[in-house]
Amino acid sequence: MLKVENLHASVGDKEILKGINLEVKAGEVHAIMGPNGSGKSTLASVLAGNEKFTVTAGKVEFEGENLLEYNIEERSRKGIFLGFQYPVEIPGVTMANFMKLAVNEQRKAKGLEPLTAAEYLKLMREKSAIVELDAKLTQRAVNEGFSGGEKKKNEIFQMAMLNPKLAILDETDSGLDIDALRIVATGVTRLKTPENATVVITHYQRLLDYIVPDYVHVLYKGRIIYTGDKSLALKLEKEGYDWLINDYKEE
Amino acid sequence: MEKSTKDIIQEFETKEYEYGFVSDIETDTIARGLSEDVVRLISEKKGEPEWMLERRLKAYRHWLTLEHPKWAHLDIPEIDFQDIIYYAAPKQKPKLNSMDEVDPELKRTFDKLGIPLEEQMALAGVAVDAVMDSVSVKTTFRDTLAEKGIIFCSISEAIKEYPELIKKYLGSVVPYTDNFYAALNAAVFSDGSFCYIPKGVRCPMELSTYFRINAEGTGQFERTLIVADEGAYVSYLEGCTAPRRDENQLHAAVVEIVVEKDADVKYSTVQNWYPGDKEGKGGIYNFVTKRGICREGGHLSWTQVETGSAITWKYPSCVLQGDNSSGEFYSVAMTNNYQQADTGTKMIHIGKNTRSRIVSKGISAGRSQNAYRGLVRVAKGADNARNYSQCDSLLIGDKCGAHTFPVVDCFNPTAVLEHEATTSKISEDQLFYCNQRGLSTEDAVGLIVNGYAREVLAKLPMEFAVEAQKLLSLSLEGSVG
Amino acid sequence: MIEKRICELIAAKPLPEGGRITDGGWYIGEYGDCDIVVTTGSKAILVVTDGDGSSDINIDVERGAELSILSLVTSHSAMNLAVAIAEDAACRMTQVVVSSSDTRVVASLMERGAEFDMNGVFLLVEDDKASVTADVNHMASDCRSNTRVKGVATGKSHGSFAGLVYVAPDAQRTDSVQSSRNITSGEARIETMPQLEIYADDVKCSHGATVGQMNDDAILYMRQRGLSLADAKRLQIEGFVDDVVLHSVVEGSEAILAELLAEKLSKM
Repeated sequence: MLKVENLHASVGDKEILKGINLEVKAGEVHAIMGPNGSGKSTLASVLAGNEKFTVTAGKVEFEGENLLEYNIEERSRKGIFLGFQYPVEIPGVTMANFMKLAVNEQRKAKGLEPLTAAEYLKLMREKSAIVELDAKLTQRAVNEGFSGGEKKKNEIFQMAMLNPKLAILDETDSGLDIDALRIVATGVTRLKTPENATVVITHYQRLLDYIVPDYVHVLYKGRIIYTGDKSLALKLEKEGYDWLINDYKEE
Repeated sequence: MEKSTKDIIQEFETKEYEYGFVSDIETDTIARGLSEDVVRLISEKKGEPEWMLERRLKAYRHWLTLEHPKWAHLDIPEIDFQDIIYYAAPKQKPKLNSMDEVDPELKRTFDKLGIPLEEQMALAGVAVDAVMDSVSVKTTFRDTLAEKGIIFCSISEAIKEYPELIKKYLGSVVPYTDNFYAALNAAVFSDGSFCYIPKGVRCPMELSTYFRINAEGTGQFERTLIVADEGAYVSYLEGCTAPRRDENQLHAAVVEIVVEKDADVKYSTVQNWYPGDKEGKGGIYNFVTKRGICREGGHLSWTQVETGSAITWKYPSCVLQGDNSSGEFYSVAMTNNYQQADTGTKMIHIGKNTRSRIVSKGISAGRSQNAYRGLVRVAKGADNARNYSQCDSLLIGDKCGAHTFPVVDCFNPTAVLEHEATTSKISEDQLFYCNQRGLSTEDAVGLIVNGYAREVLAKLPMEFAVEAQKLLSLSLEGSVG
Repeated sequence: MIEKRICELIAAKPLPEGGRITDGGWYIGEYGDCDIVVTTGSKAILVVTDGDGSSDINIDVERGAELSILSLVTSHSAMNLAVAIAEDAACRMTQVVVSSSDTRVVASLMERGAEFDMNGVFLLVEDDKASVTADVNHMASDCRSNTRVKGVATGKSHGSFAGLVYVAPDAQRTDSVQSSRNITSGEARIETMPQLEIYADDVKCSHGATVGQMNDDAILYMRQRGLSLADAKRLQIEGFVDDVVLHSVVEGSEAILAELLAEKLSKM
């Protein structure tokens, strides 16, 4: 589904990604871990198409197409969803209105008719239940005045609404208490099908108790320096990154 | 408490201006009035070259075509420009080699003002170019500065000794066509300071000038020019006190600052000229044009504490011409009795990524009127300009006025500009709280006002900050409301 | 068309002879000069719409009366609207400007306890040029005013706001807020002049002005969810001006005003 080869990206003069290789197949869950500043969020942003970053080398293929040719909204409509670490507040724009536009844009891209008001409401109700999102929140402005937990639930709710092929969740677990974490993680798991894939970027092993990854990658200084299975996350939790980083340095 | 407040008001209303004395020095003056001949005479008395006279005459002829501006929120009595003496120089020996040669009367005056023209200035690290009326009397530390290539002298001297610099920079920031008083100043300026910091030099001491208006009925037309060449740094202090007079005195100075690439200039003023008595009689009219231009990466910071003058009319401004340049304006303007102030700044963003910050604290007491007037303009090409302005007014008593007239004019859609203003009075609760802790109302007001102005005072060089704090309390006395 | 729908909403009648109005809805169409009195204690709603041309409207709001004004500026017009508000009377106003025009509202709080609220928006595209003035005179003590004007200038348009809060001597315990918030894009120009002139000391007056752009992060966020750049911008502007619509003084007019703005936005 997603094939990243030797991806280099910079912001301004500063190179942050220095040759990423990553392949994600349908039905898989990948976790990306790594110390602060290793480039995890940048990778997510670059895949989503944030224009702040310049891709200086490498290839990204998504469903056989060159993803880098498309801008951010086109990538979204092709089925890439980025769960933001810090979801933006958009004053005055209601969730309901916002999501309706988003859902219909995606349908348009697939050549489908827009949803009727009734269909849309039904969809909203159905999907908000997945993350136990208070239905009232959909009447409020996007993320405005939402608590940290509500914002993250709202991200997963939108993911449910848009039903992406590839979901990249950037630190979705940060700032969540254990209940919210459970709800968010369960939501993600329930949305998982053999046709879609999930990339989870996280600091902590605890999210991976709920979302069990097939692969765990360690990102350091803009490169994936180690790949393992879910046991790697546990080892990292206990021993930290030093053993890996030291090995890497010796190389 | 009401009662004690009134008592204090009375006590302060009877307080006299501390520096209100007249020194008795022989003065060399010319007859009242203004004409081409007077302009020629001033130039001649100063021994100026022909090109300078030409500049003066050009400015004078232009001035004749101008009318006195009326837009300010000020009530200015008709000024008879033919009733002003345009040149006055203290009579003294032509050359002074040591302090002993300075006129003892003049020295006493400086002592009364607390201007340290003695050797201890070296310890204080302050070089003083003292202007007594219109001619520089003595400039100190020139040798120290000369070692670094810094020029710090009177503008008259600079015209003779550094004609190339003067030709290049004088009038380049404030041309004579700029406004009524800039034209007048360009025609008849008497003296002032010139300062040049060469490329990459950090001026090792605060440069300072004390102005003092002395001779009766004499207009003062100082001209200051500061040039900080590439990468240079200088902090310049200007402090003013003037003796008491019944007749109004006009002061129309021009200050020009050129901040070349990556240079940094900090200009601080404490203005404490005679504000007139409690009936509004007398006092200085202070109509000043101050402006600096910043080239690429340059930084200019204006800090002013304005407590004196009957009428203050000035807008120290920054033209942010170069990319990545920045300007700041920090002001405390305090008016009491019948004083009027219309002051503020202009930030003209021309270069890309230019930044400006305005913090203005107005304090009005008695029957005074205090206005902030500001302009933030972002030109078409000034991408990513940023401005933050904060203009607060504090009212003390119910007979005064506090006004805010900002203009924000944005031609570039990448700018982010913010302006905030509040108006309030010293709260009874604050006073009560202080009283309860044993402070007199007078002390409490001084405390609260100094706290209110702290953000600006903190920008002043240390020795000035202390003086400014005292000034605020002094000017405020008797105005608790 | 819009005028008609709103007038229907409040069953608005044309002004009576002599201009004295009481409870109910009223309208002034295509301006024209007029003098209006809102009689003591009554509650009136006035819809003011413009035609090309200029007009002077003078309104007295008598003691204890409440007047709501909905002003829609959709033509090339100049309007002077002066409203004098008496003791314990109130005037609330919503103003929507979507055309090149010059509107000037002067509210004078003449007696104690008077109140004035204004929520305004101007939305300019292409080479529109509009100026909105809102002056509030606090002539008596214990009055309250709140003026909020939001401006959006896109394309090559030029929007300017001028607002003065004047507090007369002895107008003690004045409580006044004035704000001018603006968004620009393209080659547009925004000017804002929020002014305070205060001659009394026991006052609470504040004003604020901002000029900024759309929030890039929010645009990015919306695009990630599949919205086009144009839609994301439009949505954000709608969100920015939304509170003016939501606080419309005419109940039920929100959808109509939103439509008016949306139509204008489609030309952005």
